[in-house]
Amino acid sequence: MATFWRPGMMPIQLLLTIGVTFLIFVIGHTFIKKTFGRGLPMLAQGALTWLAAFTIFKFVISPPIPSSLLYIYMGLITLVIGLFISANEVSWTESKKPIVDTLIGATPLHRGVRAVAFIALPLGFGWGTYTSIAPPKNFPEPPELRTVHPAPPQAIKVQDKQFTLQTSKNPFRVDVKGEYLDVGKEKEFFASNPFDPNAEGYVKYVKEGGEVFFRNCHFCHGDNLDGRGMFAFAFRPIPANLADPGTIAQLQETFVFWRISKGGMNAPREINPWDSAMPPWEEHLKIDDIWKVALFEYWHTEFFPRTWD
Amino acid sequence: MSDSRMTRPSNYHRTRWAVWALIWGVVIVSGGSLALNRAAAEEKKAAPAAGGAYRPQKASDEQLAAGAKVYFKKCVWCHGPQGAGDGPGALRLWPRPRNFNQGTFKIRTTGSGELPTDDDLFLTVTNGLPGSAMPAWDGILTEQQRKDVVAFVKTKLVQDRNFQDTEFEEFHVISFDKQVASSPESIKRGLDVFLNKGKCVQCHGPDGRGNGNLTQKDDWGFPIFPANLHQCWNFRGNRRDPYNPRNIFREVSTGLNGTPMPSFIDALSVEERWDVANFVVSLCPKVKIDPITMKPAINFVLTAEHVEGELPATADDPKWNTQEPHFIGLGGQITRKPQNFNRRLDSMWVKALYSKDEIAFLLEWEDRTESHAEGANLPPPFNTADLTIPVAYYANKMVFNEVMPTVYPKDWKSYPQPIIYNDAVAVQFPATWEKFYGTPERPFFIHGDEKKPVDLWKWESDGKVVAYTGHGIEGKTGEDKLEARQVALKAEGAQFKDGVWRVVIKRSLKTDNKDHDVQFEVNKYIPIAFQAWDGDNGEAGAKMALSAWYYVVLKPLTPTKAYVYPFVMGGLLVGLQWWVIRKAKSMQNGHSGTRKK
Repeated sequence: MATFWRPGMMPIQLLLTIGVTFLIFVIGHTFIKKTFGRGLPMLAQGALTWLAAFTIFKFVISPPIPSSLLYIYMGLITLVIGLFISANEVSWTESKKPIVDTLIGATPLHRGVRAVAFIALPLGFGWGTYTSIAPPKNFPEPPELRTVHPAPPQAIKVQDKQFTLQTSKNPFRVDVKGEYLDVGKEKEFFASNPFDPNAEGYVKYVKEGGEVFFRNCHFCHGDNLDGRGMFAFAFRPIPANLADPGTIAQLQETFVFWRISKGGMNAPREINPWDSAMPPWEEHLKIDDIWKVALFEYWHTEFFPRTWD
Repeated sequence: MSDSRMTRPSNYHRTRWAVWALIWGVVIVSGGSLALNRAAAEEKKAAPAAGGAYRPQKASDEQLAAGAKVYFKKCVWCHGPQGAGDGPGALRLWPRPRNFNQGTFKIRTTGSGELPTDDDLFLTVTNGLPGSAMPAWDGILTEQQRKDVVAFVKTKLVQDRNFQDTEFEEFHVISFDKQVASSPESIKRGLDVFLNKGKCVQCHGPDGRGNGNLTQKDDWGFPIFPANLHQCWNFRGNRRDPYNPRNIFREVSTGLNGTPMPSFIDALSVEERWDVANFVVSLCPKVKIDPITMKPAINFVLTAEHVEGELPATADDPKWNTQEPHFIGLGGQITRKPQNFNRRLDSMWVKALYSKDEIAFLLEWEDRTESHAEGANLPPPFNTADLTIPVAYYANKMVFNEVMPTVYPKDWKSYPQPIIYNDAVAVQFPATWEKFYGTPERPFFIHGDEKKPVDLWKWESDGKVVAYTGHGIEGKTGEDKLEARQVALKAEGAQFKDGVWRVVIKRSLKTDNKDHDVQFEVNKYIPIAFQAWDGDNGEAGAKMALSAWYYVVLKPLTPTKAYVYPFVMGGLLVGLQWWVIRKAKSMQNGHSGTRKK
């Protein structure tokens, strides 16, 4: 199911799913009508529609919708189905007929259903009352909302050096001559071997950044920068997946520099800094190393940092 | 409509039911057969070669070039540019990355000492090596890329041996023969093999916790510990299928090249190897495995159950048996100094019980070494982050003075000798969780912060348990700002047995010191975190393994009304139904008058 739901395409895919379900209903109903000369009773149609909607909202959609939203949707759908059934006299009479027949016990079958319902309903109701009063077997986890990319400050001080995030540049994003390498131009080096002993400029600094990464960062962010390092399973929030197009690919290089230098615990409140294991790396690494790690992360993931223009 | 119904043939209902049954039958049967087909296909995929002779394919130049590209982007960082297992990442890794040069590979289907098949290497790259830094590359590298990189590694980086050498290299793929299904009898026979014929117990320890022989080394002189058989999710060769005895059977049959684990293909019969495989699988707790992390799935809410009367005094008390142990994941503390990149303890099992006025936590964790501090006033743990010698050497005093590869600085012997500290464990709470209850806010998870202190209960292997108020760890100096407090904390029946520590820590639910002591309330989500120290690994102070914040909820007793209200409500509903049926009947009679029951 996860492969079907593409991120960002959910609304269209949901409409498609509902459309297809509707078509299946219409075709199925026509088939039944043709075979038996008569369609399903109105009540059964309503119940089937209700069940189909519930299945789609509860089990099919990914990511799943919150339960409060589910209740609202299902409430609306129940209302609409009820209105539709009772819209005209014929359908109303037809729909309520099986219910009335059961209540009065029109046939032996109806009487059987009535007897079962007469016992089962109070039992179910009693059980529901019990579970709502008794403490749950497993307490659910309280929801925790956090922002992933907080708004960056104007300027930061790293190891007593001032950096203005808008104007700072990665000093190691340079070509072999030491000239600044505009974002996008590093693409030609994406397949270069960083361990080439003759490498200079960008590729050489990528290697040095990689050395820092694989001594300090991979424990959490993983050998493929996908946030699945050896320690990742123990921490929450789980480490950022740098290989996902939603993280460093959406950010400026200076933003990455800021987050590495200051870590999680010094970040703004909206990311829940008290839960973050991300170290303020300025306490452990040199400024140059932090810039080189940022350079390496973009090289390895083959993403381009966002630019200010 | 009702008219047409009247004229319908009498067998109409029967036909309708038949058609419905047919439709449902088709749906169920097709769905079921689809699922079965899939299972069969997967079984087929997992099935190995039938066993016997094997010859590897020679890789084409194009494949080698493609493989080199993958290698120098993804693998070189740990395995090194020459494949000697000495990449930049290797320094802080234990277990170390593989040195490919000698062609020594652990996870194989081939005979002891033989080179692996292409498929063996492919499966290792695909599934990774759980419990080490080697990730599963499946989903990251395409199948072709994984094949290419395997071709590159075995052709270019294995230097001392040649996969194409028909004169000296032989490949005897093991046969799985007829699998002996797991049963209590098979497990019992497996235990006998484990203890007697196979002598597995000598290395893996009396309870299989991997603590039988801790002085062994691998082919390169690096310290190596036997596997802890109670953590099958950490078996390197588990192929992301930790409870499958095939993996154990394979390792017992082939041995692990480069390690002290021998092949038992000659020493044990096929049935005996299956029996011991079934036995080993039976040691591993059956828990839900998270498919992404391949560790036991983590539930961040721990429940403390209520017990009548006294709380259990020791870890062995049967009162604990009412609860399933709760898995806690531990990572190395690398946020503050001194960083612990090489934590030995990666998990803990916790249970909690509370009575009318006390709460008790049973903390159970696997540690191969029982450590007690040597000497009274120990210096703080050395900051391994500043070291360029491998942590494993520093951490393991047993091999510290021995073999040293040349790539490390010559003056490594001048580094201080490792110090042994007490093994320890701690439970941590926000000192005043009530103040921000219902918000996501809490103290910093590593010993708190300036504004929000934590209440930390720390037990050490000298038997003392102390409550501390934690105000965080100083960034620059690494000073752990803990202040000991006087509080009636009890640690009872602490014991180390066969590679497992079991400690019970108890306190009263409420105290008078409300600013510093955590106060327990029923039915509230109280944040809780766990920490552990392996003293033999040089762990003390901030150098520790730690968990994220979890919650503990003191599960309330079921109130009496929960046993009364259901009957009241059910009874009311019976009355209501009776009334509705009466009403419906009277209405029906009133309307038509002709219908009779």
